[in-house]
Amino acid sequence: MGSRSKTAPKSHRVSLLERLRKKFSDMGKRFADGSPGTKLSHFIFGAGNFYHGQYIKGLLFLLIQLGILALMIFCPSVNDTPYGWKSLANLSLKNVTEGKMDPFTGKVMVSPSDCKLMVLFGFVTIAMIFIYFLVWNLNIESSRKADMDLKIGKKPTSFREDLRELLDGKFHVLMLTPTCIAATVFTILPTIFMIALAFTTYNTQDMNDLGTKLFHWNGIQNFIAVFTGEGSLGVEIKNRFLPVLGWTFIWAIFATLTCYLGGIVLALLINKKGLKGKKLFRTVFIITIAVPQFISLLAVRNLLGEYGPFNAMLMNLGWTSQPIGFLGLNTGDSERLAKFMVILINMWVGVPYTMLMTSGILMNIPADLYEAGRVDGASTLKMFRKITMPYVVFVTTPYLISSFVGNISAFNTIFLLTGGGPTYVGYQAGGTDLLVTWLYKVTIDQGSYNTGAVIGIFTFLITATITLVTYRRSKAYNEEDTFQ
Amino acid sequence: MKKFLAFLLAMLMVLSLAACGDSGSGDSNKGSEGAEPASDPKAKDPNDDGVIRVWVGEESAEFYQKICDQYVADHPDFGYTIVVKGMDTGSVAGTISQDPQAAADIYTVAHDNIGKLASTMCAKPFTDQALIDQVLADNPDSFKTVIYSTYEGESYLYGVPYISQALFLYYNKDLVTEEQAKTFEGLKEAAAAANCKAITVTGDDGFNMSFALLARKVSDHSTTVKLFEGAEPVSGGSKGVSNCQGDDTIAIVRWLQDYAADPNGFKWASSDGWEADFRNKGVVSVIGGAWHYNSAKASVGEANLGIALIPTFKLTDAAVEGLSGVKAGDEFRGGTFADCKCFMINLNSVPSKYEEEQELVMYLSSKEVQNASYLEVMNVPAYLGAADFIKQCYEEGKVTESEYSLAAMQVGMAEWGIPQPFLTGTLNTYYYSKNGPAVFRAMIDKTAYPTTGDQILTETESLDGIRKGLYLIEYLWMHGVAPKEFPATLPTVA
Repeated sequence: MGSRSKTAPKSHRVSLLERLRKKFSDMGKRFADGSPGTKLSHFIFGAGNFYHGQYIKGLLFLLIQLGILALMIFCPSVNDTPYGWKSLANLSLKNVTEGKMDPFTGKVMVSPSDCKLMVLFGFVTIAMIFIYFLVWNLNIESSRKADMDLKIGKKPTSFREDLRELLDGKFHVLMLTPTCIAATVFTILPTIFMIALAFTTYNTQDMNDLGTKLFHWNGIQNFIAVFTGEGSLGVEIKNRFLPVLGWTFIWAIFATLTCYLGGIVLALLINKKGLKGKKLFRTVFIITIAVPQFISLLAVRNLLGEYGPFNAMLMNLGWTSQPIGFLGLNTGDSERLAKFMVILINMWVGVPYTMLMTSGILMNIPADLYEAGRVDGASTLKMFRKITMPYVVFVTTPYLISSFVGNISAFNTIFLLTGGGPTYVGYQAGGTDLLVTWLYKVTIDQGSYNTGAVIGIFTFLITATITLVTYRRSKAYNEEDTFQ
Repeated sequence: MKKFLAFLLAMLMVLSLAACGDSGSGDSNKGSEGAEPASDPKAKDPNDDGVIRVWVGEESAEFYQKICDQYVADHPDFGYTIVVKGMDTGSVAGTISQDPQAAADIYTVAHDNIGKLASTMCAKPFTDQALIDQVLADNPDSFKTVIYSTYEGESYLYGVPYISQALFLYYNKDLVTEEQAKTFEGLKEAAAAANCKAITVTGDDGFNMSFALLARKVSDHSTTVKLFEGAEPVSGGSKGVSNCQGDDTIAIVRWLQDYAADPNGFKWASSDGWEADFRNKGVVSVIGGAWHYNSAKASVGEANLGIALIPTFKLTDAAVEGLSGVKAGDEFRGGTFADCKCFMINLNSVPSKYEEEQELVMYLSSKEVQNASYLEVMNVPAYLGAADFIKQCYEEGKVTESEYSLAAMQVGMAEWGIPQPFLTGTLNTYYYSKNGPAVFRAMIDKTAYPTTGDQILTETESLDGIRKGLYLIEYLWMHGVAPKEFPATLPTVA
């Protein structure tokens, strides 16, 4: 097994090279063996289709080629920032200007550069070039297919037939295309854009302070700063990244397990045979779900706040002379107490969900399983361990995983309860800040988009590695096809 | 058919995502004023919609809309409708800077933003000679030095003052006597009786920190603190002299450290806000500005709201130990930045409005309108001699005692303060944004402060730690970044 995993990557590399070589060889052959139309379609999109009488299809290919070429050559602008080849040149962010306006009339003498759009349009143009070659290949393939059809005595397909094929044999292509386009536009491009920002000086607060709207590429300086601790960016990440990451995982584990186990226990108690008023108990807990979460959290925040009723009661009783920072709302409050409290309070809003779900599962466990257990002389505890828990865990494992992932980015709970506090002078990240609330502070509050991007990349690398390793070692991966 | 429907649904899902995007025109300026007036058919420029938009502080929007409506009614040939919108004073400069095209034609900001807004093409200089003459005749010299900025080496008037701003003390008359409110020691005594803290501030930024950092000796109003003194207000000019390492400053930091550590001393505002602290009797007094008046009044009620100068304090033996420039018993009064809020014209405003915009600013910054704004919304006038008008209003019963006190104390505090300086578009902001206030807070809290690299400012309660912290602040003022390392021997300034 081990030797297989060692040799696999090498053979994969070789086959990839071979595949590439074969691909280029096929392309050459495709050109050489193709009809005049296919040959011409290497230079003029749709030429092969026109050659074979597929006029609508050919026209569509031609329009795409002309459209992309027009975009590349004429470089239309949005907010004085061009697309096309100019945007590729602009991607270097070297020829940028603050712009110049007549100080009295406001007339623009030199347009200011918009670095954000320059970077974005640069990547969009690269994507357009990629699409251009994709369509180039499609148009040649389309013509070649017509060549092949003619060779075997078939008539090249008409546009109507192609459309019909899209609703039949190629229905998956039709369905997946919009999703792929949407994923590219709304997910992949923004992600590339955000990753690119990690290599720039894009910090709106600094830019604002320095009276500039421009930013530049600064290589891997932002990443180096993380290790050297240079500048406010480096100091923040170097000293706070690991504590915040560690706490994020601790929080996710405890928040998930406490709600999960708490919900199961509660469901078991409510479903206990002979308990009177089951419906009432269930309703009471469901009411906590009915109340919007942010209202519950804000209510608890006020209850436990510096001037909240709980602190007032403790002080009136003479048990404490100063308000206790249960939620670490101020600098210098106890971080451990705040962490304990958010996990505890989170149970209040999280347990009813598990309770509700587990109640349903418990009511559906076949009664004959317990009957058989009793006949075999199993104790109540044994039946719980051997029948109830496996059944519940088996059904709720997907929920458990999604709950863990959700808790890693549980913005609401932390932001509304503690605001990430207690705070530390000189740092954005407070004692209970999760990565997600920290990112919010760094980007939205401080405008440090480059810092945010660096944190995001580090977070992705660490969480992706952990997830991958955990998944590769799990039974779900290794014994995929076996019955658990 | 089923497949076709499935495809349609997939498209719908994708398009609904796209529909979630922001389709705003970016003209946030047209936000919440309600119905926009129709375009003026007599508009001179195709882009001139016949509307002049004005941004003022949220608390004054209603007043200025009324004043502007009256102005338009009185001047039928003015040719423009005026729409006033209230904006958050603290963040408006950033909003304008980020998107000047969406900002109002005329806006108001604190004077320390003038350089930044002028250098980022967000502001147009005033050229109307009558307006310039009015500004020069009406305003104190301290303001005149900070309302100019430069363009290609030429100095131009960019801001027209209309409100003066300084810090003073609000106290709860229910818990503090007038005599106790005169000193920090008196406040502590009152706080001890009420089992709470003596005093808080409304924020821990550079402006609010001035109460300690700019404290002056009562006997001669002196301080060794220098903030870009003698600097040339031109782009790339001299940064002047800054000093933050005097013995008096060290002693004040030590005194405030002790005062903050006292169970009945100073506290930072809680996360619920200083209003909650004041309302819940967590503190007996607050250092704030006139713009906090309504909140302070709502917190303790007008009858219980006392207003006074920022109190004095006496240096203790512990505070002056090892220092030669100060001695125990030296009395200091808390300081302040004495700023002005100004009208400015947006460079992106349509040129055909320029004349009328200046005309309008001249009216809005006139003594008459400043006086009216004091009477209606408690904006303390910026013009020279406003104190006489304020006193007269009180004597004639036009304002209540607390309203009079508010203006009188603010004017009084101006004697103990300096305007926030700015030299270029950026230098003034170093003080705010480059961690100087955070270093100061770390020293008061006696906590560690991360500077740069592996350096962490520790032992902030020791003399050496305080010297290092003040050196760091001074360095930040001058350079905007923390030093690579602290010098082996720190300078001593008696």
